[in-house]
Parts: sequence; C-alpha cells; structure tokens
Amino acid sequence: MSEVPAVQVNRLVKDFKGSFRGGGIRAVDEVSLSIASGEVYGLIGPNGSGKSTTMKAVLGLVRPTAGSCAIFGRDSSKVDSRMEVGFLPENPYFYKHLSAAETVSFYGKLCGMRGAVLKARVDEMLELVGLEEARDRRLRGFSKGMLQRIGLAQALVQDPRLVVLDEPTAGVDPMGSRQIRDLILDLKGRGITVFLCSHLLEQVQEICDRVGIIHRGKMVNEGNLEELTSMHDRTEIVLQDAPPELLEQIRKLVDQSNKGELVSEGHPRSSLESLFLKETIEAESKQEAVSTKQS
Amino acid sequence: MSDRLGTSFFSPRRAGIIALSTVTQLVRMKVFYFLAPIALLFVGLQFFDVFWYEGPEASQPQQELMMHKNLCLGTMMLFSSLFAIVSTALLIPGDIEDRTLYTILCKPVPRLDYLVGKLLGVISVIFVAMLVMDILMVVTLHYRTQAVSAELGEYLGAIGWGEEEVRQGQAEVASHGPSLILQYGVWAHFFKASIIAAVALLISTFSTSTLFTIASSVMIWIIGAIQSLAREGLFTKGEYGVEPGMVDRILGTIISLLFPDFQLFESVSDGAARAMEIGMFDMLHLGGLTFFYIAIYTVLSWFVFSDKEF
Repeated sequence: MSEVPAVQVNRLVKDFKGSFRGGGIRAVDEVSLSIASGEVYGLIGPNGSGKSTTMKAVLGLVRPTAGSCAIFGRDSSKVDSRMEVGFLPENPYFYKHLSAAETVSFYGKLCGMRGAVLKARVDEMLELVGLEEARDRRLRGFSKGMLQRIGLAQALVQDPRLVVLDEPTAGVDPMGSRQIRDLILDLKGRGITVFLCSHLLEQVQEICDRVGIIHRGKMVNEGNLEELTSMHDRTEIVLQDAPPELLEQIRKLVDQSNKGELVSEGHPRSSLESLFLKETIEAESKQEAVSTKQS
Repeated sequence: MSDRLGTSFFSPRRAGIIALSTVTQLVRMKVFYFLAPIALLFVGLQFFDVFWYEGPEASQPQQELMMHKNLCLGTMMLFSSLFAIVSTALLIPGDIEDRTLYTILCKPVPRLDYLVGKLLGVISVIFVAMLVMDILMVVTLHYRTQAVSAELGEYLGAIGWGEEEVRQGQAEVASHGPSLILQYGVWAHFFKASIIAAVALLISTFSTSTLFTIASSVMIWIIGAIQSLAREGLFTKGEYGVEPGMVDRILGTIISLLFPDFQLFESVSDGAARAMEIGMFDMLHLGGLTFFYIAIYTVLSWFVFSDKEF
C-alpha cells in the first residue's frame, strides 16, 4: 500500500443555501475520513444523512463550504485528480442512443484512449461485466441491472486506481446484486481502492474493510468492520453434526462453571439472498438439463 | 494504459469527442427528418406562379427568381434558428436530468471542453442541414432560372427583339440564378444560427428549465433582429432635434453589447436574394463578428458553468 491515501477528506463542511427567507441546511458537518490505497470503504447512513454530498465533494461535483478533499494527494476540485477515478452514480443513465460498446468507448475516449488499445479495453470491460452479447444493442432497451453493469464498465474503462460507487446495487435483482458484489471483490483483489455508499448493510458487511457511519451530516462512528461489529463480551461456537448428548453436556458445563451464561442456541440461518440464489440456480440447472435431454 | 489526454485548460480533441457524440445523438434523434418537408417546399416552388407575374411580358421576370430565393433563404433562416435554440436548450438540461453529466465530469474532462463540444456538435448539425437545404435550393433555382430564361427568350423573339437584346435580357435573368453571392446569404444564416446556439448555450447553463431557455433564446433572437432600430432611435436626434439623454445612450450601449445585431446578417441575406454586390471583405467581417459573439457567449457560459454544482 502506498503512503498517500486514495481518498483524504479533512473536516469537510457543505452548506446548501435555502430560499430568500433563509432556511439553508448543513448537509455535511466537519466530516473527516481517510481511505488507504487498496481498501474497500463503505459509507453508510440513512437517507439525507450526507453520504452522496460527501461523495460528490470527493469527485469535485460540489464545492466544499469548508475543509478539503483529495484523491491520491491531488485536490479533488482539480480536473487532473479524476484521471485515477471511476464513478458509478446511483441509478445511472447514459446516452440511450449509444450501444453498450459505443458507451464504453465514448468514456474511454474522454480519458484519452484510442485505437487498438481502446478497442481491446472495451472488449475486456464488456466481458468483465458480462455484456459481450449485448455489445451492439442500444441502451434504450437495457434493464436496470444491465445499466448498472454498463455503468461499472465505463467507470473502470481507464483502469482507475479508485472506484467510487453510489448505491451500486440499487434496483438490481439478487442475482445481479451478487454479480456486482463479486465484481467489487475482484477489484479489491486487483488492488483497486473502492469507496461505496450503500443502504444494503449486509452487503457492506460482506465486502468492506472499513466503514463510516454518517448521520445528519456528522460522522458518528468509523473503523475496521471486524472491530466495529464484533461483540467482545460474547463467544460463538458453531458445531457441525453435534449429537443432542454433546449439546446437553455443553449446557451443563456452562451451568456448573458459574463464569458465563448461555445466551442462545439454535441452528445458524442462511441469508435469504443465499437461499434465493441457491433455488434459482438449481431451477436453472434443472431447466437446462431438461432442454439438453429434449434436444 | 493509453496516450492520455492532458487535463489542461482546453483540449480540442476531447471537445471534438463530445461534439461527435452530440452529432450522433442529434442524428439518431432523427432531427434530419425536418429536411423532408423543406425539400417538398423547395420543389413545390418550381410550380408556383405569383399573382403579380403575368408571364414574360412583365417588366421584371427575374422577380420570380427573387421570390424563389427569398422563400428558400427565409425557410433556411427559420429552421436553422429554431433548430439551434431547441437542440441546444435540450442537450445540457437533459444531461443534468439523466445524470449523464455526472459520469462525464467525473472523467478528466474540463468543463470548457464539455461546453465547447456540445456547441460544436449543434453547429456541425446545423452546417450539414444548411448544406442539404443549400443544395436543394441551388438545384431547384437552376431549373427555375432556365425555365424563366427560355420563356423570356421565346417571348422577346416573338415580339421582334434582336438576338443581342434577347441575350441581354436572358443574362439579366441568369444573374438572379445560383451564384456565389447567393451562397453568402446562406452563410449569413448559418452564422446567425451559430450565434443563436451560443446564446441558448449560455442561457441553459443557468436556467432551471428547458422552456425558460427556449423562451429566453427566442426573445434574444427577436431583440437581436430589431436592436439596430432601437439603437437608431436612441442614438440619433429625434423628430424635434432633441439629443438623446445619458440614460438612452447607456441603455443603447448595453443593448448593443449584450445582444447580437442580427440586422447585419439579414442585410447580407437580402442583398444575396437581390443579387446585389457583396464583397469578400464584408463576408470576412461578418465571419469575424460571428466568431466574436460565439467566443463571448462561450466564455460567459464557461464562467457560469465552471461554478455550477450538481
């Protein structure tokens, strides 16, 4: 990891003016955060808490009222700071008159790519997001999930070192959501820094190294996910195929020790997402098997 | 990874990429469909005899050709100006509404590149549309000129005019046919539409709605067309020899600085329709003035847009 943080936000304040009668609001209030290179950082908070405004300030789309933002040490209000950034906005819309390949190519050209390098990169990106077959289709007919994936492809086209994702799985079905999650983990594996905002806390927990919790414009908690979520006064033991006698013995041991308390026991549950994915994948496999038999 | 474009103050190549994308956008929005009724109109003019033209015995048969040119140039002016306003007014607010602008400005794209690219895209489409309309006008005018010339020759021969006199009459008619001067009229309208596009671009950088942008641009178009009359009234002595006051002078100066004087462009177009002499220097002057107006409005747009938050 390099010494310069991928993102550095120092005491960021953003006020929005109200009407003539006053009533301006402070959307972000003295928020500071630092994201190390190669880290996956999640910014979470309720609607209107200041997540998107913080993100926009990092991307130079809004000017800080006070404080500063930097990307790899460069002032984020300067255009050159965006050479290393890919951004996927929430519910992205692109030029509907362009095809998938044309869209990725357009954003690549804006980053100075051209010729064979650009062509190869467009192919690579469409393969990465699984849209090779839709490459010549115009975006007008794309589903929300497909738009989200083309958004990721354009964000990654210039091979950025930092990817900023605003609600990357908003409106996407669980299958698409899982694909996007896997893509983010793949980016992490390649050493790309990821800064994301999401309402899906379970997903944030699955992929982020560190999280910041923002509420009413203030950073209320920030830190390593493991540290923040672990309950230090509790211990979890998961047993595979344990017979009832063994469980009974454990209960007795706990009772006799007088040093701890058994709070709960039961069968661990899989997430609804995992169940959904398991069922749909099984159904698809069965369908494929039937089709193969018939043909 | 690539030969990346610099993030300097302005990159013509990046502006060109945005311009090309804008052209593609407008073409795929099928804006060129409006050329079909114009083509029909121009062809239809071939068969249209005005009531005051009662055949070759009329004293000025070339008036029929002037009418043809006036109608063609007027149509070109109307469509190019309206197209410039509507297309420019739709593009930037559309990008903001769809958040396409977010993804563009989050790439290393200076805001000036984006604005210039959008404007160049609209101007390029206007240029192509004007070219098509110009070709249609020239072709239809050519056949019309031949028809009027032949008709006049027959008539003058029948009433006993000499060959030389007939040739002179036909040369007079031919001078009202397709010519370089007529092209100056087309250029004047192209220049004017380009300035109107730059005005609409400026308004769209601070406007909150497309309707406001369109209405304000149309208003400036009208003010531009009549401002020379207003200036004449404010700067010259009145009916009773009263000198204009300080307020009138300041107002007149502000109007002339803020709004382009489209009367100049109209004069060139009128002159072209009448086959009057228009010098190359006059056209260079008009081109320079167009560049000046576009540059001023683009810089003002950049000034507003560079501080805009999304």
